[in-house]
Amino acid sequence: MIYAILVLWIFLAAIIIPERRGIRIIIYFAIFSLVTALSFFLLGSPDVAMAEAAISTFSTIFFVICFEKHFRLKADGEGDPEKKEVSKAAAAKKYVLPLLLIVPLFALFIFFRPGPEVSTYLKDLYITRFAQDVGGVNAVTSIYLAYRVYDTLFEALVLVIAIVAVSHMSAFKEMTVPDGEHSDIERDGLAVFTIRIIAPILLLFGVYLVMNGHISPGGGFQGGVAVAAFFICRYMIYNIYDMPVKKIIRLEEVLFMTAVAIAVFGVFLGAGTFVPLEYLRLYQESYLILMNILIGLKVACACIVLFYRFVAIERR
Amino acid sequence: MASILEIAGSVLIAAGAILMVLGTFGLLKFKRFYPRILISSKIDTVGMLTLLLGLVVRHGFSFFSAKIVLIIVILLILNPLVAHILSRSAYMSGE
Amino acid sequence: MAVLWGTMWCMVALSVLYLLVVVKGPSIWDRLLAINLIAVKVTIIIILFASIYESAFLLDAAIIYTLSGFIGTIFIALFFSKKEKKQKQDEKKEGKSIWRVY
Repeated sequence: MIYAILVLWIFLAAIIIPERRGIRIIIYFAIFSLVTALSFFLLGSPDVAMAEAAISTFSTIFFVICFEKHFRLKADGEGDPEKKEVSKAAAAKKYVLPLLLIVPLFALFIFFRPGPEVSTYLKDLYITRFAQDVGGVNAVTSIYLAYRVYDTLFEALVLVIAIVAVSHMSAFKEMTVPDGEHSDIERDGLAVFTIRIIAPILLLFGVYLVMNGHISPGGGFQGGVAVAAFFICRYMIYNIYDMPVKKIIRLEEVLFMTAVAIAVFGVFLGAGTFVPLEYLRLYQESYLILMNILIGLKVACACIVLFYRFVAIERR
Repeated sequence: MASILEIAGSVLIAAGAILMVLGTFGLLKFKRFYPRILISSKIDTVGMLTLLLGLVVRHGFSFFSAKIVLIIVILLILNPLVAHILSRSAYMSGE
Repeated sequence: MAVLWGTMWCMVALSVLYLLVVVKGPSIWDRLLAINLIAVKVTIIIILFASIYESAFLLDAAIIYTLSGFIGTIFIALFFSKKEKKQKQDEKKEGKSIWRVY
C-alpha cells in the first residue's frame, strides 16, 4: 500500500517540475500535499499528517492570492502562448530533469535497506522514560514539548519572523484596511448558510485538538491551524475586512514570549530534562496542556495575520 | 466465523466501491463540465455514503461508528455545497 | 478484512484516474472538481486504515481532512468567479477579448 502511494508521490513531483502555467501548478501542488499527508499517515505519524492536511488548504489559498497577478495576461496582438507550436524535441526536453531525478530515487528505493545494526538507544530511552519524565500518553507531544522544547520554540519563531518580514518589507505601508470595506470574493447565499453550520464544528474541533494534544494525535500546531481556518470561514461568511491586525500581532508576540518564559522556567523545575522529579508529577500534564494552548493560540494568530495581510493589503 | 453484521457490512462496502467505480467510468466518458459535475455527486455522495454506512454496520454500536457517523454528516453537508459552488462559479464565468 | 484492503486499493486506483482528469481537464472547474474527488478518496482511505487497525483516535485525522479540505476549493471557486466577472466587464469596456491562462 505505502509503496503505491510513494510511487504516486514521485510521479506527482515529476509532473509538477516541468509545469509552467500559473494555476495548474497550484492545483497539482494541492494534490501533492494531499498525497503527502496520506503517506505520512500510512507511515505511522498521524500528527504530522494532520498538520500537513491543515496547512495544505492554507498554502493553496496563499498561493492563489499571491500569484493572482500572474494568471491573467492581456492579449496584445500575439496569440495564446498555450497554443504556440512547440517542436517535439523541445517538449520532451522539459521532462529530462524530472526523469533524471526519479532514477536515483528508485535506485535508493530498491537497493537501500538499513542494516540490522541500527542503534535504537535514543528510541528506547524516550519510549521507556517519557511517561515518568513528562507525563501524558502521546509520546510525540512529550518529545516536542519537553525533551525538545527549544526546537519547537525556534520553529515557532520562524512564524514570528515571517510576519515581521511581511509587514515591514511590504511595499504597502498601512497595516490595516478601513473597517467594513467589501471583500474580493463572490457572495453566495447557500454557501453562507452552510458554512455557518460547519464553521462552529471546525472551531470546536480545533479547540479539541489543542486540549487533547497530550493524549491523542494532534497538538498546538494542528489545532491552531484549524482555529485559523475558522477565521477564513468567517471571512467567507461576512465578506468584509474587519480584523484588528495590529492587536493580533501584539498578542502573538506576548504569547510567544510567555511560552519562552515558561520553557526557561521549566528548566529550573525539572520539566524538559532527563531528571525525573517525583514531586512534579502533579504538574506535568498541566504543563503539556498549557504549552499546547499557548502554541496553538500563537499559531492561530500568525495564520490569521498572514491570511488577512495577504488577502486585504498585499494583493491590491 | 464471520457474524451476520460483518457480512452485511462487507456487502455494503463492496456496493459503495462498485458505485464509485461506475461513477468514475462516467466521469471519464463525459468531456464537458456540467455532465461531469452531475456524475461526481453520484460518486461523492451516494458511493461514499454506502461505503461508510457499511463500515458503521461492520463495527456495530461503538465509539468508532459514532465518529464515522459524524464524518458522514459533515460530508453529506459539504459535498453538495462544493458541487453547487463549482457549478455556480462555472456558470458565472461563462463556461 | 480482504474487503477493506481491496477497497483501499480500489480507492488508490480511482485517485490515479482522477489525476488524469486533473492533467487533461479542459477548464479550471474540472480540475477543482477532481481535487475534491481526490480529497474524499484520501479521507476514505484513512477511515479504512483506521478501521483495519480498530483505533478510533486515527479518525481525528479524517475529520480534520473533511473539515479543512473543502475550504480551499470553495475559496478558490468564489475568488475566481468574481475575477471572471470583472474580466468580462473589462472585455465589454475595451471591446476586445482577454485570454486567460489556466
